Amino acid sequence: MNNKKLVSYSKYGYIFAIPFVLTFLIFTLYPIVYTFTIGFTDLHGAGQTELRFLPSVGKPLFQNFTDVITSGSFQKAFTNTVRIWIVNFIPQMAFALLFTAWFTDRRTKLKGQGIFKILFYLPNIITSATVAILFLALFGYPKGPMNDIIMALGISKKAVNFTASASTVRGIIAFIQFWMWYGYTMVNLIAGVIGINPEIFEAAELDGASKAQTFFLVTIPCIRSILVYVLVTSLIGGLNMFDIPEMFIGKNCNNAGLTTNMYIRNQAFLGSYLYARAAAASVIMFIIILILCLILLYFMRDRDEAKLAKIRRQERKAAAART
Amino acid sequence: MKKVIASLLSVAMVAAMAAGCAQTEPATSGDDAATPDASAADAGDDAEASDAGEGEGEGEGEGDETTAETMSFGTGSEVINLWSFTNEVPNMIGKYIELHPEFGETYTVKVTIIATTDGAYQPALDAALVNGGEDAPDIYTAEAAFILKYTQGDMSSYAATYKDLGIDVDAEIEAADIAPYTIDIGSRDGEVVALGYQATGGAMIYRSSIALDTWGTDDPAEIEKIVGAGSGNWDKFWDAAEDLSAKGYAIVSGDGDVWHSVENANDAWIKDGALNMDTGRFDLFDISYDLTENGWSNNTSDWTEGWYADMQGIGEKPVFCFFGPAWLINYVMAGNVGGDAAPADGDFTQGNTFGDWRVCTPPVGFFWGGTWLLANKDTEQKEGVAEFIEWVTLDCSETGLQYLWANGTFNGEGGTKDCVASGTVMAISDGTLDFLGGQDMFPAFIAGNANATGANMTQYDETINSFFRDAVRQYALPEGEFYGDKDAAIAQFAENVNDNLVF
Amino acid sequence: MANENKLHKESVGFKIFEYVICVIFAILSLAPFYIMFVNATRGTYEIQQHAISLFSPHPFQNLAKNWAVFNGKDFHPETGFVNSFIISTSVTILALYFSSLTAYSIQAYEWKGKKILNGLIMGIMMIPGTVTMIGFYQMVYKIHMTNRLEMLIIPAIASPMMVYFMKQYLEGSLSLSIVESARIDGASEFRTFNQIVLPLMKPAIATQAIFTYVSSWNNLFMPLILLTDKSKYTLPIVVSLLKGDIYKTEYGSVYLGLSITVLPLIVVYIFLSKYIVEGVALGGTKG
Repeated sequence: MNNKKLVSYSKYGYIFAIPFVLTFLIFTLYPIVYTFTIGFTDLHGAGQTELRFLPSVGKPLFQNFTDVITSGSFQKAFTNTVRIWIVNFIPQMAFALLFTAWFTDRRTKLKGQGIFKILFYLPNIITSATVAILFLALFGYPKGPMNDIIMALGISKKAVNFTASASTVRGIIAFIQFWMWYGYTMVNLIAGVIGINPEIFEAAELDGASKAQTFFLVTIPCIRSILVYVLVTSLIGGLNMFDIPEMFIGKNCNNAGLTTNMYIRNQAFLGSYLYARAAAASVIMFIIILILCLILLYFMRDRDEAKLAKIRRQERKAAAART
Repeated sequence: MKKVIASLLSVAMVAAMAAGCAQTEPATSGDDAATPDASAADAGDDAEASDAGEGEGEGEGEGDETTAETMSFGTGSEVINLWSFTNEVPNMIGKYIELHPEFGETYTVKVTIIATTDGAYQPALDAALVNGGEDAPDIYTAEAAFILKYTQGDMSSYAATYKDLGIDVDAEIEAADIAPYTIDIGSRDGEVVALGYQATGGAMIYRSSIALDTWGTDDPAEIEKIVGAGSGNWDKFWDAAEDLSAKGYAIVSGDGDVWHSVENANDAWIKDGALNMDTGRFDLFDISYDLTENGWSNNTSDWTEGWYADMQGIGEKPVFCFFGPAWLINYVMAGNVGGDAAPADGDFTQGNTFGDWRVCTPPVGFFWGGTWLLANKDTEQKEGVAEFIEWVTLDCSETGLQYLWANGTFNGEGGTKDCVASGTVMAISDGTLDFLGGQDMFPAFIAGNANATGANMTQYDETINSFFRDAVRQYALPEGEFYGDKDAAIAQFAENVNDNLVF
Repeated sequence: MANENKLHKESVGFKIFEYVICVIFAILSLAPFYIMFVNATRGTYEIQQHAISLFSPHPFQNLAKNWAVFNGKDFHPETGFVNSFIISTSVTILALYFSSLTAYSIQAYEWKGKKILNGLIMGIMMIPGTVTMIGFYQMVYKIHMTNRLEMLIIPAIASPMMVYFMKQYLEGSLSLSIVESARIDGASEFRTFNQIVLPLMKPAIATQAIFTYVSSWNNLFMPLILLTDKSKYTLPIVVSLLKGDIYKTEYGSVYLGLSITVLPLIVVYIFLSKYIVEGVALGGTKG
């Protein structure tokens, strides 16, 4: 990989980044700063709408944060989120990689693979609200298609009340998430593969690499950076999960599908309009996501490049020491 | 990139054509053509865009009185902003201008509708009220689920009292005989700030064929005795459930059917700034458990397929009764009973129960739902706002909104008859329905309106109720996490409430 | 020879396996669309009784009825369509162009502060959207800028998630030797980006275009709060109003509305998907 950068052109770096930075400063910065600030106040969305910092009303500065962390609902929401994310993420990644391998394989050209590629992303096009309603209908009780199937096959004599059992609810939500997002992940990965120079594959073929060898030893290392993107965004997206669990189960089934993002919205909009506490919970989630992402990035770092950088640093140090 | 844009444009054209063709009325297509132009021109140019819509809207409103095809009503120079969550109240403005053209010459009513289903109505309305300015709502509406926030809760300071608007509210309430619970809900410190037009007091809606089979009578007066109508407790109702059970019937579809009564008859959720753990609403735990254990219900949840199936009589067991206001009959049951006329052979067991239903007073009074109208205290159009609100909520003459509403003549003859807030209007209106085998529904609902109370609500009820109903299900259903363990279910309920709300 | 034969058999068996799996997933993908389109031709009460059905007994009659509901509900799909089209197209173009540009500035140039910008972009991505959303709509109301489509469009210039994707993509596929040779040919930096780097990013741009278009088109909550004037409604808002009535939701019309909403997306998607389908042939040179 050629990593030589052209220092003399550095002013274009600034120029090209200006639109992004300006827009960010105007439209995104205020809401973010606002969020981080109100976490330390007792601001409500309605009623108490004055910005008062907690110490000025005789409360500890971190009251909102301790309230959130010690709350049973938040802890439950966090465990749920992590559980649902893991159960959906592992098969999602597995199938996305599998289909990427099949569809980008140059030797066994699967007939009609174009159609399959197009179809697999389709679930992502429909709004989550519609998807949730359709699945709710599918798992209806005491009547519904899933119950019809179960009773026809004789798996159960009585209709099953799917949305009354916590683990079933979480399982269904994880399945919906998997089903909506494996195509998205696949499309990203395929885009990465398309970006690889075909000569690399030709060379691998000439060397007599098997399909599996080509995929694991050539394709995956070449799309490492896209893979990192997929992992990071999936982690962020998973921990911010909202639409499907909210519309599929909401607060029902003893909060079996409550996610942290739902918890945050509940704080903000459920009657008490606890904007301050919602902001504090957001900051807490931000810190958690940040830590997890850093861990992920550390494990996924380009080891060769990191080594190279380290060697260069040492060389520079040594050179500096010599002079 | 060029190709992308070119094809996007072609898609746009095809879709626009499709939309244009599908429009059935030639009159509307002129307006349709204008709309996209206005919005496409310059997103910033609000005033012009809505002006363009207005002129055409006026002409059309006269031709077709049933619909609100326009962005605004009237052509006057004074602007009234109306915010609502359905087109029901906006359509009333259209009707009012049709009946009183001079109102339309003085005022232009700009309409904003935001559906409540996606949770955006309240945040948007709150922001608009707080930030004021030209676009701030002058008239806004609220639904039973969240009305308390705007009349007695966090947002109540923005509401004008009807007195301040210049309405002689006490005398007019007296004359119109407005259902007392709607006044309780609409009052801030004893002053009326909101009133409705519907009355949503509930009745017991039962099947005559099942009553005949079980007790040999379907006379509402007799059935009232059997279920203990108006007694304020459920003792006789459960005796009736035993009778029905012996014949293979369920008395209700699920615990949601009795919930509104239980909620309405007992103390509020909040007492002395904390969750009230003594309210009789906790009885729902035992009621729901008994319904399941004794097989008195079909264990359905309201608004699900099983619940609708029970209206048609094709659920696991035939269901004797539902509880609800007139809208439940009109908008939910009427279409779900499997027919729009009674079965020719009079057999109601074959998936058509139209005409098999009767109404009577329920054992425990309640109301369910409803829309209230409020005015912004900072409105600059007090007179116009008052004029319209008065016509909707307090006018009990035959040209008032409520008379049209009650007799189903708002959209011309033969429309849906509904219960209205004014007892005076109901008394001079006709509430007979084929759905009820020709019974006049109004007497039962007038009694229901009188029995309902609006004094035990809080702005947190919507949330607390949803936690509560769920805790009850977790206790009463065999699949539930707390099946049979009431204490654990109650503890979880309290935790959920306290984690999410601060009173 | 025997060995090769066995291998051949295995690969035929494997191919069948591949097809079976693919077909199952394809059916799973199509099912909700099928149900949605069928429900668009069913009546409200039929849907309440059985939300899922394989066919409608009276499709055309119901379709006409569901259309008739639109007229009574003040339903203007064409207004919504035009607004949604303006917003989604502008958002997609702005986000794609400026994200690519920003990513390129980070990837191709060495400048002070680029590490900070890179870290900032990663950081913003990780902030849960909910509360920044609250801050944003309150800000818009405070400065009285509601009912302006720009407020939904311009923020797209700063799309951290997409910048991150573009950066990752460039990391894997941009060779600076191409940039250098362009410079030797005398091309300006801006031209190099527009004429050499952008075409190189086609596969990435196509996928991100689809995702952005879809999510912008389906975006509901923010437009719902910010666009209160009917002439500014987007298509999802128009559809959400169909279910606005608390006592009576016209499910058939809601599904018909949703079907209308999703059709343009499918067309956009099918057009752009050519880049996903075409396979390995597109890649540029790689150093």
